[in-house]
Amino acid sequence: MPEKFEPYIFGFLCNWCGYAGADLAGTSRIQYPPNLRAIRLMCSGRVDPAFILTALKRGADGVLVVGCHPGDCHYINGNLRTERRVALLKKMLSNLGLDDRRVRLEWISASEGEKFAVVVREFVEEMRALGPNPLEGNMNET
Amino acid sequence: MKLRIALEGLGACAGCEIAILDLHEEILSLLEDLEVDYAPILMDKKILNENVDVLLLSGSVRNKHDAEEAVRLSEKAKITIAFGSCASFGGIPGLANLYATRELLERAYLTTESTDNKEGILPSEEVPPIEQVIKPLKEWVEIDYKIPGCPPQPKMIKEIFQMLLNRKPVTLSKKTVCDECDLKREEKKIKRILRWGEGEPDGSRCLLEQGYFCAGPATRAGCEAKCIAALTPCRGCMGPPENVTDQGARMVSAIASVAAVDEKDRVDPEELATMFKDVVGTLCRFSLPSSIISRKVLERKSK
Repeated sequence: MPEKFEPYIFGFLCNWCGYAGADLAGTSRIQYPPNLRAIRLMCSGRVDPAFILTALKRGADGVLVVGCHPGDCHYINGNLRTERRVALLKKMLSNLGLDDRRVRLEWISASEGEKFAVVVREFVEEMRALGPNPLEGNMNET
Repeated sequence: MKLRIALEGLGACAGCEIAILDLHEEILSLLEDLEVDYAPILMDKKILNENVDVLLLSGSVRNKHDAEEAVRLSEKAKITIAFGSCASFGGIPGLANLYATRELLERAYLTTESTDNKEGILPSEEVPPIEQVIKPLKEWVEIDYKIPGCPPQPKMIKEIFQMLLNRKPVTLSKKTVCDECDLKREEKKIKRILRWGEGEPDGSRCLLEQGYFCAGPATRAGCEAKCIAALTPCRGCMGPPENVTDQGARMVSAIASVAAVDEKDRVDPEELATMFKDVVGTLCRFSLPSSIISRKVLERKSK
């Protein structure tokens, strides 16, 4: 039997909500799987669709984008822009043959440490069931 | 000494070569300084044996013959140029990357409405084997410069020939089509993506802000925004601008930036995505083979 498949998840977390939520999960010692590699950005609006495509191309099994709840964005509407970007990008990905569940957008506030852990747990399980990313990239290179 | 050039179309439509002829009388003054040695689409010479200074390769590499010709000819040239959008980033033929090779052959030889092929024969003799995917020319041969456009604009071609004659590096505009466009940009709020032909466009306002899909923000300048001047939205034939790898991703960003997100006036993200009949074909129309994800992939079946 081959080794159990461990999905590689890339996370883009905004500084004000998503990352603070992850921080709260950490300081509250809430357990969640270690498959997520988090990158902090100032705003989820900074997530260029090309970042997500590049992560997938290089072999990430899933990409998680976390921003503030609508109305809470530190930069007024950066998260709403990202919501539309991700919706269009998902359509593009499914046209290109990828399962659009590989990209997930979540709103997590700084006080939702528990939600952060739940989302990561769910997402890792979902990607484990989905199987490895069919693109040839390898996360261990570069 | 005259600058000696050769032109060859691989999987091409000959439009790029015709664009050179579109220089009309000006071509005569150019010919004082350069000599066209080989151009099967324009002149009656079947094979290039001698060396040339500049080779302009147009079209995509669709089969083994195209690939071999590209390598053979580029070895004879000091400077090899990808001429036109197909050679530069894959172009329209690159959209074939959305289908498996088998699907393409079946469509072309068996199921088109005008096909009469009752025995269901797929050609296998005396035709070069097809390449599985379209890749930009730089994946096949070393390219010194690329000249985008479908076809490249005659004015741009003339400027580039002048750069070559002066032994200067070929440079392209670093701006986007929007920078060259004269239409007025004001508020950024669209609720619907209109298909071309829906409604009457306002001839003074930005087409994207009126809801028409216009690829200007994600497309390199150099065409003088001619299509938009005729109130036809940009389709992105000049490819991505400087420092942008993925034209489609840039366009996704641009559309999200003009979408209405006010509290009262908000376009639903899912609805926005369904307003495109063919997202990849619209957003990466000319540049799919050089995009980050350059072809259709297959998910393994999940258990």
